[in-house]
Amino acid sequence: MFRSSNVAARVFERQIRTPPPGTSVHSAREFYENLVPSHTIYDIECPDHFFRKFTDDGQFLISFSRNQQELIVYRPRWLSFSCREEDCNHDLPPKARRFDSFFTQQSCVSLASSNELIFKDFFLYMESNQFGIFTSTTPPIHDAPAFEGAIPGVPLVEKITFYLIRLENGDILDKKVFHNDFVNLSHNMGVFLYDNLLAIVSLRFQTIHILQIRESGNLVDVRAIGLFCREDDELFLNSNAQRIHSLKKKFFFHFQDYVDLIIWKVQFLDRHHLLIKFGSVDGWLSRNADHHPAFFAVYNMETTEIVAFYQNSSEELYQFFEQFCDHFHVASGTPLYMRFISSQSNNIHALEQLKSIKAKANSFPQFVKKMLGSVAYTCQSQSPSPYFDQSLFRFDEKLISATDRNRLSTDHPIKFITRRRPCTLKFKIKPGPEAGNADTRTKRISFLFHPFLPLALSIQQTPYLQPSVNIHFRR
Amino acid sequence: MGSLFGDWPSFDPHNFSHFRPSDPSNTSKMTPTTYHPTHSRTLPPPDQVITTEAKNILIRNFYRRTEEKLRPKRSASELLNPDHGSKQPRASASVTDLSD
Repeated sequence: MFRSSNVAARVFERQIRTPPPGTSVHSAREFYENLVPSHTIYDIECPDHFFRKFTDDGQFLISFSRNQQELIVYRPRWLSFSCREEDCNHDLPPKARRFDSFFTQQSCVSLASSNELIFKDFFLYMESNQFGIFTSTTPPIHDAPAFEGAIPGVPLVEKITFYLIRLENGDILDKKVFHNDFVNLSHNMGVFLYDNLLAIVSLRFQTIHILQIRESGNLVDVRAIGLFCREDDELFLNSNAQRIHSLKKKFFFHFQDYVDLIIWKVQFLDRHHLLIKFGSVDGWLSRNADHHPAFFAVYNMETTEIVAFYQNSSEELYQFFEQFCDHFHVASGTPLYMRFISSQSNNIHALEQLKSIKAKANSFPQFVKKMLGSVAYTCQSQSPSPYFDQSLFRFDEKLISATDRNRLSTDHPIKFITRRRPCTLKFKIKPGPEAGNADTRTKRISFLFHPFLPLALSIQQTPYLQPSVNIHFRR
Repeated sequence: MGSLFGDWPSFDPHNFSHFRPSDPSNTSKMTPTTYHPTHSRTLPPPDQVITTEAKNILIRNFYRRTEEKLRPKRSASELLNPDHGSKQPRASASVTDLSD
């Protein structure tokens, strides 16, 4: 049946026709094909901050001062202006080039002092109470000696402080400090937030700290899980469900591999179950997991049992990942619009893309290892913006994607083309200056998309220079 | 006639000419057909309680696969001794290679 893509026709359709059951979010999202951030203002005048992220409910923009000691929270608002002429078709007023036409400062909090710095790649948001979780650290010490039961080879940080902050007014509600420890804070990898439960992986002491965030704003210790990597027989007795018989043959042959395992990463699967990723110390330090085996354990915190144990070459675990990808990603308390981030389990285009990678892979075991490299999931690492919905738009995933990472800059604008026929170019995101870059120094870009407004920032960083920020919005 | 449809337009004025609107004074002769089961094989057990499974499908699958891997060892030993009355689980005497 022909359905018009004209926005007025769509509004009329919405008045008279009920969408198919269970598709209310998908139907509403179709309007994002009509309302796109097609206008770019290049190099806006903005304060010299590190702009981190929009909160997933779109209420705040999180940024840090250049000296990494202050948190500055902004509220997004929309550019508005008026003109007196009858025919108001001229360019935007000069104030459009200013950051404060789009954002108002909500609060500014000093978090770090003396030699501590805010870890600017770390930020977690608890939507229900509008709490933000931030960290500050002292400089890391590499090649620190292993004392007090620490794992050798893992760097040491004298003081890591977690802050719980009410974003509306900047009040510091609570703090949790770790001394002489190491937590992988880069892009939230060593911490996982599920509803009001926070899991923090102490890499140095191989402990998973579970904390609860109370409504009142207190951080309360719930439990600390230390899996004894050297007392490996205990680990395997708990997981006798699968491994005992096959391991009778293989046990002594592979024993050394298992003894040296450390916890790499943790995520919640639900309130009682954790998925723990193990690997060797060398594998973690080398950052290249391809050549090092990794293992996954599903751990029930209440019964302290290991329910399942897999190697990263496991086809069974890969099948679960392909079919139930969303269950690795989503927390139960997540609001509805967060559950529509495209993945191979909820989107046919993402699934087709995965299948084409599978078909092109040299060997299926290699493909499985590569895919399982992204298990355990890093929470709040993907933007819920409908512009990344694979059913609506097609775009080059090497240049831009929902995943929150900075990439190498490109001078070419990034095109967003509709999936629906006719496949038209709807808008382009071009980072950096309008005329392109004169110098050839390596630059990195990051994209901050507002979760539901047609508004995005693209930030191009050149080493030692103030970043250039473009704002993309619907004019 | 005092039709439910009043003066609504219609292609053919003779349409609905046999229609008699329901009159509260006339008891309706139409009772809806009721169906009765001829057997009780599909009745739910009287103490059945239906609740939502607490574990999500992914976790349920993890548990199920683990249980499946345990079960073949027991059923293999039972096949060998079909007259064995007791249901004690026995670890299999042979070492079987379990695939992941």
